[in-house]
Amino acid sequence: MLNSKLNYIVCFFILILTCTSCVKDVDFNQAENLTLTPIVAASVVYTDVEASRFSENGTEIETVRDSIANIEIFTEQFVIDNLVRTDLVFEVTNSIDRSFELDVEFLDESDTLLDVFTFEALPSNGSNEVITMVTEVYENERLEALKQTTKLVITLRLLPSSDGSTLNENSTGRIILKSKGLFYLNLSA
Amino acid sequence: MSKRVIVIVLMLFGFVTFAQNKQLLFGFNDIPQSVLINPSTTPDNELFVGLPLISHIHLGFGSSGISAFDLFADDGRDFSDKLRQVIFQLDNNDFFMATQQVDIFSGGFAFGSGIEKDRYLSFGMYLETDAIAYHPKDYAVLAFEGNATNIGRVFDVSDLNFTGEVLSVLHVGITKKMNDKLTLGARGKIYSSVFNVTSTDNRGSFITEEGQNNLLIHTFNIDFTFNSSGIASLTEDSNSDISNDIKTLRKRLLFGGNLGLGLDFGFTYQPSDQWTIEGSLLDVGFVRHAKDIETYRVKGTYVYEGINPLFPEVPTGQTAEDYWNDIADNFEELFDIDSTATKYTTWRPTKLNAAVRYRFGKKISKDCNCYAEDGGYLNAVGAQLFAIRRPRAPQLALTAFYYRRVFKGLQFKATYTIDSFSFTNVGLGVSTDIGPLNLYVLADNVLEYQNLAKAQSLSLQFGLNFVFGKGQ
Repeated sequence: MLNSKLNYIVCFFILILTCTSCVKDVDFNQAENLTLTPIVAASVVYTDVEASRFSENGTEIETVRDSIANIEIFTEQFVIDNLVRTDLVFEVTNSIDRSFELDVEFLDESDTLLDVFTFEALPSNGSNEVITMVTEVYENERLEALKQTTKLVITLRLLPSSDGSTLNENSTGRIILKSKGLFYLNLSA
Repeated sequence: MSKRVIVIVLMLFGFVTFAQNKQLLFGFNDIPQSVLINPSTTPDNELFVGLPLISHIHLGFGSSGISAFDLFADDGRDFSDKLRQVIFQLDNNDFFMATQQVDIFSGGFAFGSGIEKDRYLSFGMYLETDAIAYHPKDYAVLAFEGNATNIGRVFDVSDLNFTGEVLSVLHVGITKKMNDKLTLGARGKIYSSVFNVTSTDNRGSFITEEGQNNLLIHTFNIDFTFNSSGIASLTEDSNSDISNDIKTLRKRLLFGGNLGLGLDFGFTYQPSDQWTIEGSLLDVGFVRHAKDIETYRVKGTYVYEGINPLFPEVPTGQTAEDYWNDIADNFEELFDIDSTATKYTTWRPTKLNAAVRYRFGKKISKDCNCYAEDGGYLNAVGAQLFAIRRPRAPQLALTAFYYRRVFKGLQFKATYTIDSFSFTNVGLGVSTDIGPLNLYVLADNVLEYQNLAKAQSLSLQFGLNFVFGKGQ
């Protein structure tokens, strides 16, 4: 009988243990400090232009310009709230024996120029490919300008040759432009 | 907390499913509800009436990879770092689950044509919640790191895989002793679904690679479906009066919801006095969702390499702007959420239980130093196997147990279980009779009760029944 009494005691001890069990040393409010910092990579513009395209009816075309309008991504509320830095990476592969200048202009809806950057693609050295790479970092004020951008204008300008030669239908080489954006986000509770 | 964090926390913890394994209740025939684990288990009574709402309450949760402590420990470490560590440590087969079961009413009685009542009829109705969510690893990695540092990595759309439901179950079962050795049992069930959310059949991928024409190429191939039933009417109605919603829910519990059918089967085979082999298959059934349904689908394929604004080589005379608009349209189309009401069927999480049991040690009477007349063995040891069908792969658990009848009104069962959650799950159960009142408490993972936050799974069952004619 004593034995079964002991069993009873053990049993109720377990019950008490169950009822008094607890959750120790945890802080669920920590979840409020959660910050996510993903970096989104996205292709931007690209083009591949043969040297002969810079000539029309025997005359050299100096400037090629085109635009991308109605860009909505930078003015999205989510982007305005959470984008903290943007790197635009451009890579130009030039196999034409001429220098090019590239302008990238950022405009808002009323075509006000917000930001521009220019870089030079070095000439090919006897049809060897010459790669020029630039990274433009957008932070603070420049980033704010980017967040109002709805239009991009890209201008490809052929710089004068040192020997006065011009490109014609039979000129060789090409200029290849590639780019990507790295968008740094900061998402917090 | 902002909405975003709530969503993330929900993703990780919201669909916590209870550990469905009832290793303590299985075969514990002093407790009337043991007949729900194997319909061929003959309860040790002539008649039982469960106390409404408290005859059987089961709560449980499980997390295969981590405990709340891993993430929320008050250790001064940055929460984002801890979450990152957890996200990378777990793989997409890790899961979180929760289960809850409450008897609304239950009862049973023995009957039969002969002197010895060879049949047992049991019935009742219970409310069940069951949910499981797999670790959405690739989504979490994408949210944490983005794609920039994951060039070449395939993000798998199927990593989002979860299902959750609340339903009521009306059941009637019969246990029949076929001969001295074999007892068979079966139970029919009618399910009435209150809510269901299911997203278990997602496919596709997202990948960013080094491109040919541009620095990067992005390939989207997405087929994502989310089904729900019983949610739309409650969230969309304009009335703020919660009593109307409660009325709706009450109707659904009583067969006003989406209905389904199911069956349980079981056998108990006793080749000898001391050996028992038994097995059962539970919830072989489905629910057909046809009322108050919503389906969201995102389906599409798109390859994006960037925009070619200069000299776009388009023979149709398309301008750069048209070309750009085309790209924008393609993206919009890809991520356009197609909302419909498509009927769907969910399969219940079918469970398998099996056991082998050896009984020994009869009570010795003090008066005559011989076996006492009330007979029966006092001890049992054995092994049990549990399996449950889950969206990705079945979950398994293996249990060793010891059962002890201390005296007529007090029985214990202790279990040691190995499963997806831990290798150290020790469970203890006790059933006691005070007059006709049967009280039981079954708790697993008792070693974790000193700090519940460290437990990766817990399951607690308790209940009160009126039991008559025990040990006869």
